[in-house]
Amino acid sequence: MTILDRSEWYDIARETNWTPTFVTEEELFPEVMTGGLGVTRDKWEKYDEPYKTSYPEYVKIQREKDAGAYSVKAALERNKLFETADPGWISILKSHYGGLALGEYAAMSAEARMTRFGPAPGMRNMATFGMLDENRHTQLQLYFPHEHCSKDRQFDWAVKAYHTNEWAAIATRRMVDDLFLGRDAISIAIMLTFAFETGFTNMQFLGLSSDAAEVGDYTFSSLISSIQTDESRHAQIGGPALEVLIANGKKAEAERMVYQGIAGAWRLFCVLTGPSMDYNTPLAHRKHSFKEFMQEWIIGQFERSLIDLGLDLPWYWDKLVAEFDYMHHAYQLGLWYWRPTIWWNPAAGVTPDERDWLEEKYPGWNDTFGKCWDVIIENVVAGRMDKTYPETLPILCNMSQLPICAIPGNGWNVKDYPLEYQGRTYHFNSEIDRWMFQQSPERYRDHMSLVDRLLAGQIQPPDIGGILKYMNIAPGECGDDAHKYAWADAYRVNPFSKSAA
Amino acid sequence: MTMPEILKPLKTWEHLSGARRKPSEYEIVSTNLHYSTDDQNSPFELDPNFDIALWFKKYRNESPIKHPDWNSFRDPDEIVYRTYNLIQDGQEAYVFGLLDQFSDREHDKALSPSWVALLGRLYTPNRYLFHSLQMHSAYICQMAQASTISNCATYQTADHLRWLTHTAYRTAELAKVHGAAGFGLNEKNRWLSDPAWLDIRELVEKALVAWDWAESFVVLNLIVKPSIEGATIRSLGESARRNGDTLLGLLSDAQLVDASRHQKWSRALVKKMLEQDENREQLRVWIRKWMPLAKAAINSYCQYLVEVPDAAERSIATVEEFHASLGL
Ligand SMILES: [Fe+2]
Ligand SMILES: [Fe+2]
Repeated sequence: MTILDRSEWYDIARETNWTPTFVTEEELFPEVMTGGLGVTRDKWEKYDEPYKTSYPEYVKIQREKDAGAYSVKAALERNKLFETADPGWISILKSHYGGLALGEYAAMSAEARMTRFGPAPGMRNMATFGMLDENRHTQLQLYFPHEHCSKDRQFDWAVKAYHTNEWAAIATRRMVDDLFLGRDAISIAIMLTFAFETGFTNMQFLGLSSDAAEVGDYTFSSLISSIQTDESRHAQIGGPALEVLIANGKKAEAERMVYQGIAGAWRLFCVLTGPSMDYNTPLAHRKHSFKEFMQEWIIGQFERSLIDLGLDLPWYWDKLVAEFDYMHHAYQLGLWYWRPTIWWNPAAGVTPDERDWLEEKYPGWNDTFGKCWDVIIENVVAGRMDKTYPETLPILCNMSQLPICAIPGNGWNVKDYPLEYQGRTYHFNSEIDRWMFQQSPERYRDHMSLVDRLLAGQIQPPDIGGILKYMNIAPGECGDDAHKYAWADAYRVNPFSKSAA
Repeated sequence: MTMPEILKPLKTWEHLSGARRKPSEYEIVSTNLHYSTDDQNSPFELDPNFDIALWFKKYRNESPIKHPDWNSFRDPDEIVYRTYNLIQDGQEAYVFGLLDQFSDREHDKALSPSWVALLGRLYTPNRYLFHSLQMHSAYICQMAQASTISNCATYQTADHLRWLTHTAYRTAELAKVHGAAGFGLNEKNRWLSDPAWLDIRELVEKALVAWDWAESFVVLNLIVKPSIEGATIRSLGESARRNGDTLLGLLSDAQLVDASRHQKWSRALVKKMLEQDENREQLRVWIRKWMPLAKAAINSYCQYLVEVPDAAERSIATVEEFHASLGL
């Protein structure tokens, strides 16, 4: 056997930059698509991707990985998980596929942007594998939910969600478009691969994977842990890009991109992953709370990778860490209350036992969020169901497109953070969201939130019926309580034991 | 108020459920995946007119090539990620088997000095060319009007990285045996200033900045690729066989398997474009605009392949026949 070691030819395969002479450098790598804050392309010669692989190795390993993922699915096909699993778990699958599958496809376009416009050959080659990876993630996460279509119309939203004006879909698109699909190559390297993938996808994919294994959903568990092995490879595109920027006097600007990436990703995970982990996952199978995951992955590990690169922690770090305690509880209330406007059936997750767990993981929960649930429970128990449904939309944040909300009850801290800009008043959920807007107002200026559209008369008739039509969500696919309110039975027996606290 | 109908579960995605037959795995995982094409005025959930939104509106939404239903495009090979890796892992096993055998037989030692010099001049600089095809394919991927088009472009991007990888590998092998010939050192200079490459480089540099997505596809898949595949792969491979370089001949053939797959989806996309008769003239305009550069590129390169005297003529004829067969 005389096959050369990869190291003997790897560098040749990434010596592919040249200075064009028939077009200008600026034409070949236009600022709008390449970015880079004015660091010239020769400085990018130092870019060195830490994870090295090659075409023949890639197709071999990926072929084997796919054989694994698809064979687990085939082997478990006849297992009746779908029929026997807790409805809260099924809801997690629906929110996951609808929120992620087409976002993965947008990530493929973003990887393609780095492949075409990235300033360093190593980046362009790694991003080529990244394109393939994201192509894989889209296809797996469409193929798996597709088999459930015939049983449950909500699974159609794996592909439909991003094509609608459903509010959670709008918020998801905002994050995906702002962090990568609508960014230049260098911003993508930092915001998508470094901030979003290094920081956050671990949580969705490893966190949910371990929950899935606990629940007994081995198909989903092996699927998403297989996806995460690709993520942890192509997530490494961003680190060396940050190093080049820092070495060329752009530390402050690079930090700003990282901070925007973290802030944007946090909102999305907060609304999708937070309620999944702390409310929809059956109590018996919860290993960690969402907050504990955040502390492990974001404080324990991601903070370390920022420090290792010589970056300062974001100015808003304390505020963000404080949100671990309440923000996703507030979103959960919104998801459940506005359940006819989402494509999955949210679990309330507030049986007496679950409330004890919440109180233990989040001391003070009963006194704040619990107060709102008390009212809901009273209405459910009394059969006043009309009082448990919304009549219109909440105030939405002009950055995240999510409801402006925070701690209710005895810890009340709900507050609008407004901003006047060129004659229009924008509303934000926090100082962090307002700061995001101020970083590049031209990216957001003429965008209208769902509420802005309602007030401008774009949604007719301007009532809940018109709103649902505008969202393209109808009975048969719109959400309702995951357990058909069976959880409220505990309160019918003894209405005064709302909690053990 | 009339009660809205209650939606029932369907056997497949709603957008595929009208078809008379069961959708294939390919259709389930490949169709209708771009959402930035939904609102022509505002591609992203952001300001409708910030710089990248304008880029997509101008170069994709306002392209002169129009079609009412781009999502109806289908890859004739129906490649999905899973099958792509199956196919290419097999192909790579074949190629690396060749590399292994030929290296055991000390193939490179037997090459004549004049052929070795020609490899340094006309073969190993290919890595710059192949990389430009890789970059260009990635542009089509991100700008295409339908996910079924983007997917073809994604696999094509990866195929060009494959060609680049083969070339880099051979460059390192040749450098080991023929140290004095400058393998691994001289390619960039050749690419930048050798008259064999100048016209090819002019073609690909200009092609890379043809931003309209449809023109970008036409110039890459109907002009640049068929031209260079005829010249720097097929004709060079023939020349190799006539110089005792069996390995390069076989390597070229292996890459042309990818190229013929690329031609298949290109043909299908042109057919889709020609469903609208108004598109034909614009496609012809682009072909007329780019062919002179392509012919110059083929001629300049092929004149140095002395063992294949009709290389240029045949390469040009192949490209023109391809266009004619497309009705262009
Ligand atoms: Fe992914
Ligand atoms: Fe990714």
